Amino acid sequence: MCLAIPGKIMAIKNQLATVDFSGIEKEINISLVDVKIGEYVMVHAGFAIEKMDDEYAKEMQGYLKKK
Amino acid sequence: MENKNNKFVELEQGGGGNMSNELIFEIRKFFPVVKNWKNIKDDGAVFDLGKEKLVFTTDAFIVDPIFFPGGDIGKIAICGTINDLSVMGAVPIGISLSLVIEDGFPKDDLKKIMQSIGKISKETGVPIVTGDTKVTEKGKIDKIEITTSGIGLASKIIENGGAKAGDAVIASGNLGEHTVALLASRFNYQTKIKSDCQSLTKEIQSIARYLTACKDPTRGGVAAVLNEIAEKSKIKIILNETDLPFAKETVALSGLLGIDKFSFPSEGRFVATVAKKDAEKVIKVLQRFNRKAKIIGTVTKGNGVWLKTKLGGEKKIEVPRGKLIPRIC
Amino acid sequence: MRITTNKILSEIEKKATQIDRPLRFMELCGTHSQTIAEHGIKELMPKNISLVSGPGCPVCVTDQSDIDIVVGLALFGIPIAVYGDTMQVPGNLMSLEEAKRNGADVRIIYSISEAVEMQKEKPNLVFFGLGFETTSGMTAWAIKNGLTVYSAHKLFPPAMEALLRNKKIKLDGFIDPGHVSAIIGTEVFQKFEIPQVVAGFSGEDVLLAIDMLLGQILENKPRVENAYERLVKKGGNKKALAMIFEVFEVGNAKWRGLGEIKGSGLKIRKKYQKQDAQFVHKKLIEKIKKKIKIKPSACKCGEVLQGLIEPKACPLFGKICTPENPKGACMVSVEGSCNMEYRYGK
Repeated sequence: MCLAIPGKIMAIKNQLATVDFSGIEKEINISLVDVKIGEYVMVHAGFAIEKMDDEYAKEMQGYLKKK
Repeated sequence: MENKNNKFVELEQGGGGNMSNELIFEIRKFFPVVKNWKNIKDDGAVFDLGKEKLVFTTDAFIVDPIFFPGGDIGKIAICGTINDLSVMGAVPIGISLSLVIEDGFPKDDLKKIMQSIGKISKETGVPIVTGDTKVTEKGKIDKIEITTSGIGLASKIIENGGAKAGDAVIASGNLGEHTVALLASRFNYQTKIKSDCQSLTKEIQSIARYLTACKDPTRGGVAAVLNEIAEKSKIKIILNETDLPFAKETVALSGLLGIDKFSFPSEGRFVATVAKKDAEKVIKVLQRFNRKAKIIGTVTKGNGVWLKTKLGGEKKIEVPRGKLIPRIC
Repeated sequence: MRITTNKILSEIEKKATQIDRPLRFMELCGTHSQTIAEHGIKELMPKNISLVSGPGCPVCVTDQSDIDIVVGLALFGIPIAVYGDTMQVPGNLMSLEEAKRNGADVRIIYSISEAVEMQKEKPNLVFFGLGFETTSGMTAWAIKNGLTVYSAHKLFPPAMEALLRNKKIKLDGFIDPGHVSAIIGTEVFQKFEIPQVVAGFSGEDVLLAIDMLLGQILENKPRVENAYERLVKKGGNKKALAMIFEVFEVGNAKWRGLGEIKGSGLKIRKKYQKQDAQFVHKKLIEKIKKKIKIKPSACKCGEVLQGLIEPKACPLFGKICTPENPKGACMVSVEGSCNMEYRYGK
């Protein structure tokens, strides 16, 4: 089950970060990524798996400009 | 899968979906005597008193955790029974309260739970008129179980099978927030969302005469209750994805845990159908109680409950299956 | 969003008409299948485009023998931690859920870090590790933090290779997985000579990917395009990859439906063998293997996973195999093709 929503890093303590998903906060393990407070991450089963661009769907914007 | 062939009751059968219905059917078949009672498959059974109708309902409550943001097991127990009477169009007149308490249960917690029952009783004017209290050995039950029964009087019963093609579908507020509060505390999420647990008696009484069908989406959530209305009324319900009654937090938690938000129980909301011409008027009244009350869909000919997606496709909203378990892969 | 959708849909319609022959695209990731079902995307497609689900549901491709061994360990008194939807997958003897009902200590966890905590109190706890590159990194982290693991982890690209080798399977393009690609990047897909687009998980993301696949076919230039740049980088997540290959080495693995695929499994390296359940419980596992009696089944999960048949073509589908009482893994997982067909099919 892959999540479609990114979360925002609110606080970092060692390997754990508090991540906000539209008003729901959760401690997430960040051992697999290098991140700073304020950045967005994609989370899978309690772990951040990769950093995410915060501008929503830049591919879509690119697509619209192209056409 | 040999022992799945019906020898044991399974946890999934308590989830409010198809499997619960099967279990209830198995139990009910032993009770053929019905006499003059009607609506025995609805939230409450109805007995015709002549001028008025008596509505009778009962419910057992187990909640984990027993205290949660926005309420506790006591508040749910009294509101649940008041609401089951209210959605039938009845004014509750008395409630019974039975407690099964585990040995060693903190008196302070018991006091808090009784206080919240007392508070709702006072606010709604519905008295607790009789009850029973048992204590069991440690480990025989989980902390506390509460059963409430209630009676109410109605001049007109709101039938679940009364929705008609052309009606509008309404929600009395954002749905599923009770579940969000509970799941968040169970799985260590933090959120400002509180349980929606509350009595619905005043809200429903204010607009009862307009409703063609009404249910409170507790077990099985809005998915289960709208399917019940669609089936009993022999109509099709179409919800619009752009008008769904969910807070952004509900959508997020549903995604995070991989549990369908349509199956999230609420403990202080109702969904109903009303004639299209009355819909705006009804919503205006309901918004005095909860500004998130709104029209969420329409009733047409056909069957089942469908979601018109943002992309323009139609997706079937099924009666939930099994229990609410978060999934991973 | 509505405008975007309409625009993409009309592009798809236009290109499909131009190409004017039947096209079959396979979405490899279970969550993409979920997105397609949830948004009713199949209905929105022009007549000549069909979408088929691939082997991207980790629970579905986990081999029966792995389930049997872990059930065996549980019945021999070893505490087991698993992700939720592994519970119901039927084994030859029983599922983990039934093992639990029979008194075995089987715990559902949401995140592997919970298992790391549990292991401090239950030192013989074994975590049943399954999934692709997405979850392998977490398992590697957990092993480095002391957890004992039975690894049924798999690598994704070898399965794609196996699908392309099978001449019975006719495909015109892949929708590449989102989160797997976040870990492994996009370059690894370049060796496959078939149109591919890495996609995100919203309905629009998937429509966009389909449009891009059609574009590649029209231009006759099969390549790997990335429609999920906001997450997926060309080289993947280097930190996660380093963690995976520090703990695991590549081995062969058995896939439900696809059989054994060379170089598609992740085995725990010798350095960490004291946390490798297959090493620690070697004798017990031998014993369990001898006891397993393979029951013949009419379940066609294997063919469904390869997109060879539709779920409805299985004789068990909807009759004796339902989400409440699944006979095959594809009916267990909510991302399994059969489960989705049962829930969303008309």
